[in-house]
Amino acid sequence: MSIDDGGKRQVPPEQAAALRQTLERVWPLVRRRHLFPELPSPRLGSSTSRVAMEIREKQITLNLDYAVEMSRFMPAETVLTALLDHAVSHYTCCPWDLATHLRLYARAKEILGDGDQARKATDMFMDVVANTHAVKERESPLPSLYRHAPRDHADQVLCALFENIWGMDLGAKDHRDEVRRLSAIPYLDKRRWGASLTRFIRGIRPLFEDAQAEAAQDHSGMGGHGFRQYRAEEIEQALREFAKEVDSPQRFVEIFEDIQNDLQASGHCDLEGMGFGKGCPVDANWLYYMKLAENYALPVKKIPMRDSGNLHPHSHRPWEIGQPVREVDPWSSFGKYLPGITQIWERRQGEIFGVKEKTPDCLIIIDSSGSMVDPRARLAHAVLGAGCAADAYLRNDAQVAVYNFSDAPAGGREHLPFTKSRTLVYRVLCRYFGGGTALDLPEITSLVRDTEADIFLITDMQITNLDHTIARLSALNNRVTAVHVGKKPGALRFIKAAKQTANISVFGVEKPADIPRIVLGSVRSYLATGRVKKKILEEPAYWSWTKVPPGRK
Amino acid sequence: MTETNGTHRQTVRGLYDFIQSHLYFNRPDLRLDGAAYNSSLLLNLLTAVLGGKSLIIGEPGLGKTTAAEYVGALFYRLPAGTLWASEVSGHPEQTEEKIIGRPDLGKLNQGQEEVVWSNFVQLPVKIVDEINRLPETKQSMILDGVDRGKWEYLNEIIINDEYCLFATANYQDRGTNTIIAPLLDRFDVTVESRYPGPSYAFLISQRQEKEKLLRHPELEGELQAALRSRLLPEERATTLAAISEAFGVFLKDSLGLATLDGQGRQELRRQVLSTPLNQDANAFSRTLLAELSFCHRHGQKRSNELCDEGCHYTGYLCHRLLNCASNRLPVSVMNYSKALAWFSGADAVSLEEMRAVTPYCLAHRAQWTEAHISLRQQDRRNDPFHIYLARQAVTEVYQRYSEQADNVKEALGRAYRIFQGEGLEPVAGDHPIYAEIRKDLNLEE
Amino acid sequence: MINPFEDFKDFQTEARALPLDRLAPAHDEAMAALTAGYTKLVEQEVKSLVWFVEHNRVIEAYTVACEVIRGLDYDGQHIEEFCYQLDSGTAMPYLISGPAGIYISALCNHVAEADMVLRLRHMQRQMHFLGYRLPHGKTLRIEGDTGNFTGAALNGGQLIVAGSAGDWAGAGMTEGKITIVKNCGRNTGEWMQGGEIWVGGRIHGLGRSVSGLIYQAGDPVTGRER
Repeated sequence: MSIDDGGKRQVPPEQAAALRQTLERVWPLVRRRHLFPELPSPRLGSSTSRVAMEIREKQITLNLDYAVEMSRFMPAETVLTALLDHAVSHYTCCPWDLATHLRLYARAKEILGDGDQARKATDMFMDVVANTHAVKERESPLPSLYRHAPRDHADQVLCALFENIWGMDLGAKDHRDEVRRLSAIPYLDKRRWGASLTRFIRGIRPLFEDAQAEAAQDHSGMGGHGFRQYRAEEIEQALREFAKEVDSPQRFVEIFEDIQNDLQASGHCDLEGMGFGKGCPVDANWLYYMKLAENYALPVKKIPMRDSGNLHPHSHRPWEIGQPVREVDPWSSFGKYLPGITQIWERRQGEIFGVKEKTPDCLIIIDSSGSMVDPRARLAHAVLGAGCAADAYLRNDAQVAVYNFSDAPAGGREHLPFTKSRTLVYRVLCRYFGGGTALDLPEITSLVRDTEADIFLITDMQITNLDHTIARLSALNNRVTAVHVGKKPGALRFIKAAKQTANISVFGVEKPADIPRIVLGSVRSYLATGRVKKKILEEPAYWSWTKVPPGRK
Repeated sequence: MTETNGTHRQTVRGLYDFIQSHLYFNRPDLRLDGAAYNSSLLLNLLTAVLGGKSLIIGEPGLGKTTAAEYVGALFYRLPAGTLWASEVSGHPEQTEEKIIGRPDLGKLNQGQEEVVWSNFVQLPVKIVDEINRLPETKQSMILDGVDRGKWEYLNEIIINDEYCLFATANYQDRGTNTIIAPLLDRFDVTVESRYPGPSYAFLISQRQEKEKLLRHPELEGELQAALRSRLLPEERATTLAAISEAFGVFLKDSLGLATLDGQGRQELRRQVLSTPLNQDANAFSRTLLAELSFCHRHGQKRSNELCDEGCHYTGYLCHRLLNCASNRLPVSVMNYSKALAWFSGADAVSLEEMRAVTPYCLAHRAQWTEAHISLRQQDRRNDPFHIYLARQAVTEVYQRYSEQADNVKEALGRAYRIFQGEGLEPVAGDHPIYAEIRKDLNLEE
Repeated sequence: MINPFEDFKDFQTEARALPLDRLAPAHDEAMAALTAGYTKLVEQEVKSLVWFVEHNRVIEAYTVACEVIRGLDYDGQHIEEFCYQLDSGTAMPYLISGPAGIYISALCNHVAEADMVLRLRHMQRQMHFLGYRLPHGKTLRIEGDTGNFTGAALNGGQLIVAGSAGDWAGAGMTEGKITIVKNCGRNTGEWMQGGEIWVGGRIHGLGRSVSGLIYQAGDPVTGRER
């Protein structure tokens, strides 16, 4: 639906003013019908494009020229109401939020393989859902608009579809074949949107395979549904959800890179929360792990309560003969010393907030040798677990250093000194060397010498200089948590050696997916106990070689 | 809509506009039907209208107490000086004698018991500064009194015909106690008195004399004398009313501000409470309450029973809460929604009013799990954390409701008929509301 | 006792009834019936989830398929959708290509429509036995590639494959016409007894045909007329 206006006509000011007044009158009624969506008042504005409207960060702007054009066929009130119904339905029904939009787009891209086609297909699907919702649930006059709006080929098909599923005559041409395929899809069942979109794409695919010129146009005269219509908070939340749902970092990266331009154009690509300005372009792979780690509930360090140290009058109790008279409250006793009348103060210490202990810093040593998963290719739980640990410490106002190693003595290592920058931490965590496995122990020791930093070591224990590693770590005063995957020979040696030490706890996991949980368990324990050096408490579903798991002798 | 409806509304709106323009400068942060209001001022005003209890939080020096004083002074026609004298300040050495009343010492020495009531108890506007610094017993004492408006001392009772409570609290810091959950639950709303922004802050610094607008030393003296007097309660009430009337005249003459007398305020309350709810607001509130109290495994939410992973209802609020919603929550939500609808001139309470008010009613009552707190801590927000969590919760429920509004109402409509004895099947659905309807109909599996 | 739902006693839904309200559930119902039929076929015919292509087993499977689909209400659109459901493995966990193809062929042969188009271009897997025993008066156009035994035992119908076919295309067909736009595999027309196979591209290998005509890129390559 778009207007074909060869030459740009100026809308007379009186007509524009009348339309604006109509809009002001119509908007409260539309809001009421749609159950009061939290949207700012829409505007009428001129646009160089032919589409009916634009939505940026929830602000709806209707195309004045389009509205004027359509007003030739029906009352302006009807035009504006229909357009607003369409826009609001996108907000209240489909896609509702960026997370849903991303999900749909990702599914479309998986099927079609092409970003532009995926966008168009997603837009068309969302239009069908939103319009059908408006017509069915909100008594929308959208059918009148579609009856008169000019159409390209894609719009013709959609119009024919609407005729069939709404049961109204919209003057559509016959597209029986496509309409048959598209009509029986449960558009209004949100739980099935994924499968419905798949079927929908199958039905409209011939449209994409047709003339390239047609496909190059923005099909939707209503306006495309880009990713600029969302606010910063929504974007952050959506990326978090999306990271959790995708099955690989590559998928996340692919989709994020598709929408990155839109996000940057609206200034929502800053990572460290430094206001709302444009930040540096973000590496999508780090972003994936950052967002995925945000789905883990990190330990919250509570402010401890302590006694105030002062006794204060808390309440009265009756004075009994024989009790000291020092605490008698003369006011409450009316100046009398009589049992049953005289009151004495009971004093108690108040409970006030204690001093929040400073959280120690944290050094994360992560193995990125060839035997570990490449975090760019597949989900690397080691990186995720390390990210969770880093986030936990950063949130408690501590610093984090990272030592990413493969064959460190040969130069296969990167180390990040203590920092509070989350981006830098993830940059180094996500680095993958893929070589041998050896630690540069003097370097590591130098990082934590004279500090109380906690150390997290995540590896598969196939370290070449394992014995030296054990010896060095044992000699440190720092708390060390080592997490390894599987029961490799190196692990057994490490565990045996760790038993002799007071500061090293070792955890093995069957499944790499357990790494983040184990790491967070350790962090939780560290933060709860402050600087007291304690062994980690047991948890089910993994084995700890420092303590006998429950139920085992 | 009667003429009086409109007049009273105009008066109250006039008070809001006046305070906003001359006394309490702050940014609007609550949008309703195209208009923007400051949440702290509006909700405090509605607290006065309803006779509710408002907990005002904020950084020191951001107008928590003064907002309450302005509202109290103008709505109840009491000079500011009188209110200052009646405020209870939160410190650990507060006693019942300082808060409620004391024996008349002269009479006591003559062997007679007579109570000298405090201003706090006698006046309808009760302001407690830094309530969280009071010991628990004193907090409880105040809230018990305000619950029914009945104060007792030495076997004498005084009953307030109308009253409202404004309690301020700083954020948790050293040297402050906390307000425990049962006491928090008694507050109707929590609002934040925010930093007004540099421009408004500058304006405040330019208008330091603004409080004098609400002062009247002569009437304050008369009020003080009347409050201290040994008149019978009915006589004292008449005297106080007369002085209030005089202050009302003063406000009209000096500031052009119309205010309400006692009868007007009672009438106004009747109007407010008679505002009906539309079906969506009705159904939405039931939907919300269902999520706040439901537990598939344990029958209802209980603070000592945690929800396991893997429950079918993991995506709902019940999974993220530790406690069950009390019955005070719907009372607060209903009253404040009605007040807001009345204030904005609506014929009935709609979803918009309910959605606007509910976060403030819920914020101090919801106890979230640590996992949920941890996940949300880093979100961008404008509200203090607990109001933000409540707002997000309400938004989520609103989304779920708007997807299935018709179905929920259909379920409730059919439930009516089943309850009446018709042999129908209840409407099935995924949301806790459908399960709760089944329980109401005694059809629980 | 007070009725807590009093406020909703007069509730009337304002939602409009749309044709979509019955189209979508009707489709789901039809799909469920087709799925149930397929499951029955597999349970009867494929005891150990292994199925060998043997002449008698094919006939038996087809007979069972015809029985299980008797009385079902469906159309060509449902058949196409069913193919994709089988391919995705979401509605049913196992696609056994032989029985699946036979089942689909049974559906095609008994559907009310005389002309059908199945757009299978985007399926991950290819199904065997599509077009099996397509009867006289039916035209089936398949857009996409097909597996082995395409058009086997064709019985007078018109089968068009707008793609490539696998091995044993047209095996045992008695009459009718198979048009394969691209290529086909080995043993094409094995034991053919009549009818025509037109292959637009390349035939990788001919079968031992008794009678019938086979054309490659317009030129006859084998066949004795009956």
